[in-house]
Amino acid sequence: MSILTSTRPYRIPGYLRPRPATVLGLAPPAWAAVLGLAAMAAVELASRTGVVSKFDLVPPSRMAARAAGLLTDTGFLTGQLVPSIGLIAATFAIAGGLGVAAAYLLWRSEWCRKATLPLLGVYYAVPVFAVYPILVVLFGVGTAPILVVSVAFAVVVVITNSLTGFDSVPATVTKLARARRLTARQYLTKVLLPAAVPDVVAGLRLGLVYSTIGVLATEFILSTKGLGHFIADAYHTFRVDDMYAGILLICVVALILNVTVAAMLGRIDWRRR
Amino acid sequence: MTTAETVVPPVVRQPDRTSRQSRIATASAPVVLTLGLVGLWWATALVLDSSVFPDPATAVQRLLVNLESARFLRSVTGTIVRLAISYSLVVIVGAAIGFALGLSRFWSDAVSPLLYAIYSIPKVVLFPLFLLFLGLGATSQIAFAFFSGVLPMILMMTNAAAAAPRLPLKLAASLRMSRAAVICKIVVPNALPAFTSALRLTFGLTFLGLLIVEMFSGVSGLGYELLRNIPLARMGDIIGEVILVVVMALVPVTALRALEGRIHRRYSAGGAK
Repeated sequence: MSILTSTRPYRIPGYLRPRPATVLGLAPPAWAAVLGLAAMAAVELASRTGVVSKFDLVPPSRMAARAAGLLTDTGFLTGQLVPSIGLIAATFAIAGGLGVAAAYLLWRSEWCRKATLPLLGVYYAVPVFAVYPILVVLFGVGTAPILVVSVAFAVVVVITNSLTGFDSVPATVTKLARARRLTARQYLTKVLLPAAVPDVVAGLRLGLVYSTIGVLATEFILSTKGLGHFIADAYHTFRVDDMYAGILLICVVALILNVTVAAMLGRIDWRRR
Repeated sequence: MTTAETVVPPVVRQPDRTSRQSRIATASAPVVLTLGLVGLWWATALVLDSSVFPDPATAVQRLLVNLESARFLRSVTGTIVRLAISYSLVVIVGAAIGFALGLSRFWSDAVSPLLYAIYSIPKVVLFPLFLLFLGLGATSQIAFAFFSGVLPMILMMTNAAAAAPRLPLKLAASLRMSRAAVICKIVVPNALPAFTSALRLTFGLTFLGLLIVEMFSGVSGLGYELLRNIPLARMGDIIGEVILVVVMALVPVTALRALEGRIHRRYSAGGAK
């Protein structure tokens, strides 16, 4: 009514209009690339022109060159890169296995669920890395404390996500399963696990991110080898080039790990097929 | 009656919220578990009878002794002040940027991939950059703690602001509400529950970031106190400090959870209002 009687021409308000396909002829992914490259170029320029001291900021081109140099250095590969990636892989495997198993246990036992869920809910409020010093005193500086802290950091996100997955079986499917007289094992393999897969996969992806953070952070705080230690050591000994190259390598490694594991996990996720 | 009961499969649990007994069981289970774990710790300490594995009483006693020292108190208050500053900045800056970004579908699509990419980098390894540019003091620690918490805040608020339901927006359009009125009356109330969840999650991340850099840069603060005791192998002190960290994390998070519950009940879909 009001549209017909109004003298103003009616215009659909902005919050209801569909998203424009392009702004200034560029789609969102193109804008993301432009913004990312512009940031890189700004850093390169700031460093090359001397706005920021070369001792503080290394141009990205030199970071990349130094990182490539590190990748051909066998001492760096066997001493820093491989141990870190190995630890991340081990943490991810342990946290993933433990997490899914623990979630299944919580799903089975009502008491366990009631007892742990409130604690799991506040778990990430507590900085888990605070216990790292305890473990260093108990086990010494080495692989064991890093592994324990990283697993402790990564496992809970796997548990909570997997539990959501186990809870996602529709009640009607469970009723059907009972009507078909499925055994406990059949129920597990034919109903429960397939239903939980998407959430378990989401939990495992987060678990990988948390494993990476856990390993690199503990190496960074206190350790004798690994990528995190390499960066901390480069900082302490004023090797700015090495420090930036290490940071760049970690970004690349984290990105590659995320993309490949996400692709692998995406294959078993029936929702994405 | 009996036939109705046999239809419901035992796997589908319907917790009876009205039953007082089950409420008590729900509340007591986590307490029982916590007490059990503390008991286990105590028993292990008694069996081992080692100076590097003190019992809970010793740890608490060491903490109380430490709290009387002026230097330790300065470290604790320093951490609390830095945490308060960085967390306030996370909430104000992160929520404002995230909300503004979420209002524009195009720009949130363009910027989010970049933010997610930065988010997936293990942020600890970037801390040397903060030290290089901001120096070895409170500024770099606050800045890093802010950086640890602000990205999730932005991302969650972007999603929350973008998730305004379509139907009320259409109603607003037919009522010719102004953009400001739409934001105040529809978008903000709809984003409130997600905002309270983000408040709780980012608190943990900010505290974690702060504690890690205090461990690394080691000038003052709780993180420094924790690491300082490793070479001295003073386990009682370390565990006492970990207990303090847990309390410092759990008190605000419990309050935030209560707030979250209230807001969710009031503003979520299907709520009273």
